[in-house]
Amino acid sequence: MNLSGILVIAKPEWVPQVVADLAAQDGLEVHQTDPESGRIIVVQEATDVHAEIEGVKRIKAMPHVVMADMVYHYFAEDEQAYDAMPAELAEDTSVCVPAYLNA
Amino acid sequence: MGITRREFLKNSVAASAAATVGLPLSEQAEAAVAQSEAGWQWDKGACRFCGVGCGIMIATKGGRIVATKGDPKAPVNKGLNCVKGYFNGKIMYGQDRLTQPLLRMTDGKFDKKGKFVPVSWDTAMDVMVEKFLAAYKEKGPHGVGLFASGQWTVPEGYVAAKLWKVGFRSNNIDPNARHCMASAVAAFMQTFGIDEPAGSYDDIEHTDTAVLWGANMAEMHPILWSRITDRRLTHKDMKVINLSTYSNMSSDIADLEIVFKPSGDLSIQNYIAREIIKRNAVNWDFVKKHTVFATGPYDIGYGFRPRNADKFASPAEMEVVKNEQTRVLDKWEAIGQRRKEGDVVAQANAATAGRDWAISFEDFAKALEPYDADYVVATAKGDPDESAEVFKAKIKELADYYCDPKRKVVSYWTMGFNQHQRGTWVNEQVYMNHMLVGKQSMPGNGAFSLTGQPSACGTAREVGTFAHRLPADMVVMNPKHREFSEKIWKLPAKTLNPQMGSHYLKIMRDLEDGTCKWAMVQVNNPWQNTANLNHWIKGAREMDNFIICCDGYPTVSAKVADLVLPAAMIFEKWGLYGNAERRTQCWRQQVKPVGEARGDMWILLEMAKRIKIKDCWGEQKIPGLKAAGFEDGKIPSVLDEAVKMGYNPDASLYDALFATPKNKKYAWPDPVAKGHGNHIAENLGFFVEKAMFEEYREFGNGKAHDLAPFDVYYDDAVRGLKWPVMLKDGKWTETEWRFNSDYDSYCKPGSGIDFYGNNGASLVMGDLDKPGDGSVKVKLDGKAKIYFRPYATPVEEPDSNFNLWLCTGRVLEHWHSGSMTRRVPELHRAVPNAVCWIHPKDADARGLKRNDLVWVESRRGKVKVRVETGGRNRVPRGTVYVPWFDESVLINKVCLDATCPISKETDFKKCSVKVYKA
Repeated sequence: MNLSGILVIAKPEWVPQVVADLAAQDGLEVHQTDPESGRIIVVQEATDVHAEIEGVKRIKAMPHVVMADMVYHYFAEDEQAYDAMPAELAEDTSVCVPAYLNA
Repeated sequence: MGITRREFLKNSVAASAAATVGLPLSEQAEAAVAQSEAGWQWDKGACRFCGVGCGIMIATKGGRIVATKGDPKAPVNKGLNCVKGYFNGKIMYGQDRLTQPLLRMTDGKFDKKGKFVPVSWDTAMDVMVEKFLAAYKEKGPHGVGLFASGQWTVPEGYVAAKLWKVGFRSNNIDPNARHCMASAVAAFMQTFGIDEPAGSYDDIEHTDTAVLWGANMAEMHPILWSRITDRRLTHKDMKVINLSTYSNMSSDIADLEIVFKPSGDLSIQNYIAREIIKRNAVNWDFVKKHTVFATGPYDIGYGFRPRNADKFASPAEMEVVKNEQTRVLDKWEAIGQRRKEGDVVAQANAATAGRDWAISFEDFAKALEPYDADYVVATAKGDPDESAEVFKAKIKELADYYCDPKRKVVSYWTMGFNQHQRGTWVNEQVYMNHMLVGKQSMPGNGAFSLTGQPSACGTAREVGTFAHRLPADMVVMNPKHREFSEKIWKLPAKTLNPQMGSHYLKIMRDLEDGTCKWAMVQVNNPWQNTANLNHWIKGAREMDNFIICCDGYPTVSAKVADLVLPAAMIFEKWGLYGNAERRTQCWRQQVKPVGEARGDMWILLEMAKRIKIKDCWGEQKIPGLKAAGFEDGKIPSVLDEAVKMGYNPDASLYDALFATPKNKKYAWPDPVAKGHGNHIAENLGFFVEKAMFEEYREFGNGKAHDLAPFDVYYDDAVRGLKWPVMLKDGKWTETEWRFNSDYDSYCKPGSGIDFYGNNGASLVMGDLDKPGDGSVKVKLDGKAKIYFRPYATPVEEPDSNFNLWLCTGRVLEHWHSGSMTRRVPELHRAVPNAVCWIHPKDADARGLKRNDLVWVESRRGKVKVRVETGGRNRVPRGTVYVPWFDESVLINKVCLDATCPISKETDFKKCSVKVYKA
């Protein structure tokens, strides 16, 4: 489980619309809004790590969103994320010489 | 309440995020945060990545980093993080961290052709030092080199610079920052006589206009970008202008986007200056009081090997490299330089490219005369599908912003200006325009050079880990600067070597031609980051030399090395970084280094333990040296004088220069640690980082580079301080805007603006073509220079064979060569591989579709990469863009190793290539 706290900024006059659009997305919850400054705190839950980043990009692309940046990240307690190394960087950890160096 | 674990976590993530950006929290939310973070120890730190220098908070539990967040108290980022910054905690935990020294061996002995085998630190050090002493004996101090880093901490850089320049009497130390902001440095020194920006990030909240010149801030400096975005949203007059050779993410909120042709920035800026004069918008009060007009030679070459280049370059390469000797002027270069098309110009000032002299305003205005709108269309319009009229309207609007006396303007730039064959010139032109209209060194007004690395300013520039520099802007070529430094370092006279060492690219060339036989790499990746790589890979693997790579991960540079040393990474050690707004900030060691990894400073000091004073302080040959007070070709023995001063020739450089009685007074443990460990101090027995920082401060104090004592930066309430840091009413106080007497106590009181960096200097008066006879001199006290610099056509342009421009750079998700960010699965998956962005019509014309595998080929080499026709970058027809983070797409094999001849910084932004199906 990947949880991220995301700050979204919308033009103040569009905050209600943006909040509604955000809430309609799967995996997003709007937790707090500050209508005056246009700031919205969203929590995103993503099953897949790729989806986590894609999610932020999707938010940035939404109408009337001026800015969206991740503010807080909860490191998943399980180690799955670390096990998912890309194939070309994955190494046999039983030896300390990365195979890449001698290839 | 029956709240599930998941809901509980979500609430606490939301509450933490809200708290971070300063939204008020309910009591319930606060309680949720407290409960979820039970047992976590939070400490302040600085982000590992770019030059913005965001403050982060790091949480550790059980010897491991469990969370990071933007630091709400950090004035730089006010709690925000970009996508990279967000993963600071994960970069140390890649699966393939190096944990033991590895040496190429066959049958238990070092063998350059052998395979890497784990060895002990003792064996690694013994072999490394044996090879060092052999190279040093054969070639002298300039036969050894250090590829240094703008990612070193301040104390690391200081130890390296002192070991090299004092211990080894070698100036062959040069940082990857040479690739990143050497042009900015050269322009600061030439214009202001002192390095680094006058302004601060707070300019953003004061300005009406942000002009981006070759700086895709949305991807490369996302947090500053969020401040600009915020300003644009909240300040109705705010305008954002993006100038670039391709359309990028920064264009998305820009009010005006100007896509220009490579090197067209030179003519656009001269056009603005010409407009300022034509429209009578010169701020004469400012210009007369604070500036002097100046210029320099145009025939300065392109930074290739000055002679015998054909011994190393192929005939195809020589088609470009031959311009180092003579250049045939094209129509536009000729007009812009008041010459005739087809003139053959000997590049007579290649070795003296930085010469300058004063000129009159009348000459200055005359030089600008050719730079009208039509000239700019011809030399700078970058999108062939845009009409000349639309382009002219855009540059006129841009000039309007600079000319409007009521409008505040900040200009930002990064690699677009710095990585430029005329990088120093183009930096100087931006100051030209700001000073002509008097918009410099005031809140919201100024030209602001951004940096790419976390301590390019703090370490590379301020400490002076360059081939020509000493701390606090001093240089090895200047006898007074050497004398001052020898005094602080308590050295015999003439210990310091007066000959400038080899710059970064030249160390590569030295390895290729056998001048340098031993080189070390710390905190960077030279065999991925240097242009024209095929030559350097051959130089490393096929020449008789010994290369050491210190890194946390197996990089390309580790692969070509002979010895790989496992380096401790960021939060496994103590450190201070200096960001782009002169802010020095710090962190403590948070976790122990993995395996046998050790900090880079420990590696250098351990090496210093094995080399004696007498190994280096006897007479040494320095080929080519000619300097007043020195015999040609050598530096003298200083051993006798050293003995008189109390040095023991048999003492190690470590004992003589670092573990001195004075330095050992900085005891470990120290209360400032607050219980944090320090693997280096625990090993060496004293608080080295603090001792080194305090010694280093002596160079800048009283010289407008003042730093506060070490402990002040570690105070809980302090989030970095912008130098000069002055003690005012018992409080260490930073300087927000330099050269402005309202803020900077180095200015003459009441002077308003005072460019004191040039005090005591003068320029010979001349005309546009040459300096005068020296009879008339112009004093520069309190003044900055306004340079005229002409347009210069790029040395390699697309032709019928290599028919596209290639520009290289970064992407948001990855940092530099990707050695850290590619090991964070989240970032890797976001952008797994480099792609070649190409215009859909250019792709069509070559029979290519999105995702096709292609060769990108130049006169120098080729790489295979997938084609991208959409996405975040929209290149104009005729241009392709390939990022350089991906070690499986070594685009630097393709890039041209031309540099700005003044700054020696490589131009990674323009060369010509062809693209075809693989």
